[in-house]
Amino acid sequence: MAHVKVVRRSTRPEEWTDLRFSWLERGIVRDREEITDLHIRDARQISENGYDDAPEGERPLVKGDMYFTPDGTVFIRGHATIPPRMHGENVYFSLKTAAEMIVKINGVYVGGVDPNRERFLLNPYIQGDELNIEIEAYNRSKPDDERNPASLSKRGCRQIFEGAYLETIRDNVQSLVYDYILFMDIAHCEYFNEDYRKFLFRELSRALDYVDFETWEGIDEAAAYVDRVIYRNTDFKGSGDVALVGHSHLDIAYYWRRIHAVQKNARTILIQLRLMDRYPEFRYTHTQAYTYETLEKYYPALFEELKEKYAAGQFEPVGAMYVEPDCNIPCAESLVRQFLYGQHFFRRAFGKTLDNAWLPDVFGNSWIMPQILKKSGVDYFVSNKMSTWNDTNRFPHNNFIWRGIDGSEVYACVPPTHFITWNMPSQIQENWEAYQDKETGGQTLSMYGYGDGGSGATEEMLEMIRRFPRVSVMPKTEVTGGADFLHKNLKDNPNLAVWDGELYLEMHRGTFTTKSEIKRMNRYLEGLLRLTEMVSVSRMLQGEAEYPAEEIRDVYKKLLLNQFHDILPGSHIHPVYLDAMADYRDIEARLKALLGDSRVYWNPQNFAFRGVRFVPDESGAFVRHGEKGAFQVTEAAPFDRVCFANGADDTAWFQMETKDGQTFVRTPRLSLQMNAQGAIDHLFMNGDEQDFVKTGRALNQLHLYADHPGVYDAWDILPNYRDVEEKLTLKEALHLTHVDGNCAEFESVFVTDKSEIRMYTRVFREDEAVETEYACKWHEKHRLLKVNFAPNILTRTLRCDTSAGYIDRELTKNTTWQEARFECCHHKWMDMSECGRGLAIINEGKYGVGLEGEEISLSLLRSTIRPDIESDMGEHDFCYQIVPHREDALKAGINARAIMFNTVLSPAPVALPAPLHRMLSQTSLVLQALKLSEDGKRVIVRLSEQNGSRGILKTEEKVEVLNLLEDRQDIQDTIPYHPFEILTLGIPLAQA
Amino acid sequence: MREFVETILAPRLQGDGGWVEWDSLNGNTLTLVFRGECSKCLILDRCVHWMEEELEKKFGQHIVIQPVRKKPFFWDT
Repeated sequence: MAHVKVVRRSTRPEEWTDLRFSWLERGIVRDREEITDLHIRDARQISENGYDDAPEGERPLVKGDMYFTPDGTVFIRGHATIPPRMHGENVYFSLKTAAEMIVKINGVYVGGVDPNRERFLLNPYIQGDELNIEIEAYNRSKPDDERNPASLSKRGCRQIFEGAYLETIRDNVQSLVYDYILFMDIAHCEYFNEDYRKFLFRELSRALDYVDFETWEGIDEAAAYVDRVIYRNTDFKGSGDVALVGHSHLDIAYYWRRIHAVQKNARTILIQLRLMDRYPEFRYTHTQAYTYETLEKYYPALFEELKEKYAAGQFEPVGAMYVEPDCNIPCAESLVRQFLYGQHFFRRAFGKTLDNAWLPDVFGNSWIMPQILKKSGVDYFVSNKMSTWNDTNRFPHNNFIWRGIDGSEVYACVPPTHFITWNMPSQIQENWEAYQDKETGGQTLSMYGYGDGGSGATEEMLEMIRRFPRVSVMPKTEVTGGADFLHKNLKDNPNLAVWDGELYLEMHRGTFTTKSEIKRMNRYLEGLLRLTEMVSVSRMLQGEAEYPAEEIRDVYKKLLLNQFHDILPGSHIHPVYLDAMADYRDIEARLKALLGDSRVYWNPQNFAFRGVRFVPDESGAFVRHGEKGAFQVTEAAPFDRVCFANGADDTAWFQMETKDGQTFVRTPRLSLQMNAQGAIDHLFMNGDEQDFVKTGRALNQLHLYADHPGVYDAWDILPNYRDVEEKLTLKEALHLTHVDGNCAEFESVFVTDKSEIRMYTRVFREDEAVETEYACKWHEKHRLLKVNFAPNILTRTLRCDTSAGYIDRELTKNTTWQEARFECCHHKWMDMSECGRGLAIINEGKYGVGLEGEEISLSLLRSTIRPDIESDMGEHDFCYQIVPHREDALKAGINARAIMFNTVLSPAPVALPAPLHRMLSQTSLVLQALKLSEDGKRVIVRLSEQNGSRGILKTEEKVEVLNLLEDRQDIQDTIPYHPFEILTLGIPLAQA
Repeated sequence: MREFVETILAPRLQGDGGWVEWDSLNGNTLTLVFRGECSKCLILDRCVHWMEEELEKKFGQHIVIQPVRKKPFFWDT
């Protein structure tokens, strides 16, 4: 029999129910009084709480008016009188908008409206009938991942004012609407039992038969039917145990500048506070000490209310960190400071040290984190993206133990679903279905609340919660707080699996590279801050100057702010980039003002060095990073004055020959053969017959790839990025530009139709490193510039610096896990070694590394157009060094070399007390930080074991052993340490 | 006028994730290229109208903006 496709053209019963459900909402408002006395003025925000007013001043605001301008803020004021007919009723303020508004009436913050809510209750916050209204409103465009599709059609810079109202509502209609939202969601969700869904459609339709949609009679009968027939039905059973935690993710900057986050945060908190008033069971978690700081500064009344709700157990600070930073690129000390300044804020404001890190949206988490968490008083870690964003492998755990690089363990939760949900039964059921630790992990965590730009929970979400226990097919749900969930389910749970390694996110791999300049400045300023603190301690101990604690703290916080996970990774609009660069310039200027200037330099490291460095000099023949100067052999003992050995003009150390387009170079350390492009076809350390370059391949081979990751343009590099290679034309073949007594420099120039890349390759008389500098005029679109290295080294691992130890990354592609890690994050160096020899690449601001089987690549530049059309356009200048070496990276001192490559020499003496000087210069531990303690009573010495060795640190006098929050843990003169441990010592000022 | 568009109006649009570029001015018809979020904005006409008002305020001349949307490939469906 032939198949006959039935095309139904009549309304199906389910559609009839859907339709009538949509009508129900029309009956919610019983009475409304339009507020007509409204005036508006336009402004543009120019700082955290500063505005440029439009010259036109104030004008009346009437329903139907166009309001808001691009990047605009509006201030609305007005007056209304509650009409006598509403006396004795619950009166609501109602304003439907796609914008974000904070509403004050009679001087009291009464509520907020935005695309996710349009109405709030007035009665508890006002007295009398006369209402003086003040509204500050922001209309920020939002990205595609808006979770409220209904508001999308109204998104845009200009809005039509739909009127503001005083309203009374029909509570019974509103309640029935919530019932239907709940059950219709279940009825449409395939995660639930099919028979139950069929039952729901039938009974929900029958209940609506009671309702007259003109007069709104029959509502109570319908509600009674729903209660009797649906709520009380127990024929169908669900399973599961889901903890519901209210949360609102707030990007400090993203599709908005960080100055706008101040109001987004205030609006979010205001709305949550008002919900807490109405729903005593509601508990809400909020992260980032910075957001609390801005609330305290600009909205002190709200901050006081927040503290009251905290005391009542409803408002819960979580997260412990200053902001939610990127957790790949910041160095260890930056992550330490995120906790130090975050926790110290929470201690001051709430008298509490938070025991959890709450990073739902970060793009993977470095292996160095568990130790930093643990030593910052944080035993629990929450981060969502690995479960829901991984593009290749399913992360195998949700509730588990995370073991870090040094063996430290913290309890970890990677919730099964998104951190932004609107608390629908389908989302809760999906969470339970996806939960992988059902038998070992206790409850699963489901966060609810709108986010990205703040917003948080809604009345609807909380009404759902009150109904869930009455729905037999739902998992068991518990309203709880973030810390309570973690304590209840993870603490001392003996059944949790252990994940030992980084929490690599199989997505957003482009964020190690996008916005090259931000990465470069971040690395540079991390070093400059370290130097400034060290010099300031020295001056303080020598009695030369007071330690500039406030200034340093302020500058540090500014750097930390710009490590936010949509700033440092590069996933933001253009104005955010401009803000970050302005902040970096400010930070640099302030630090340099503290440091002072000098033509004499000191070694700020606790190890001796000898090597070639570039020394700026107006008469120099070389140009590096746009500055004239010369390369000189430099050396210094720890903290000692740096000696510069001016090289003779004698160039006999350098031998060069060209033949058939090949350039043969011999130095006292190396022999190398470069092709016309400047790629190195052969590289030998003198005295060694083994070529460091794989036969037929090269080191320093530039590649320009088509780079089309799609909507997540700034975020992603796709696994097939090598499929299409774009033409890079050699405009000027390799040629010698200059040679002196220390350095010989070659240049080759590449062009595309839009860009120019000048590549400088340098070899040195007294160094085996080959330095490459790129001066780029970069104007590409959807292109990725990489440089490849094909070392003649048999190894299956690439050793990568993490800034506090190394991680060995697998180069093989045997498993999907290895395949997925084709682009990873590293810090100052990476190295491939075999027995007796190896090759390292050390950089000064690059993080992305490609693992391409037998080759590795350093990601240099991208050219994405979303969110920033102009991302990375313009001039760039960056260096790295190729360092062939004998022995392995550890014995070859690659880490120390990479640290020095990134070190700004001190323009001021680093004079330390003799015992401290001796202790620091005799240990193999790296001096990560030297600062004054936050309480101003001791010198903090932070040391980092970075070689993977175990040992004992001996001090001449007993010192305090501290945690990262500078709390005393012990007093010792013999301090054992283990591989990759970070030690913090406190030396009381009297003793120092 | 080009400077006004590029230094005064364009940064405003950028603040909302948008982007506008000068193309040409013929008589009183100004062709502008809209990229970024503007390229797919459902209510771009409102913004264009505002820009026309700003231009008229600044230059005392009624300018008609002809918007050209330039969508990135991933939105060009």
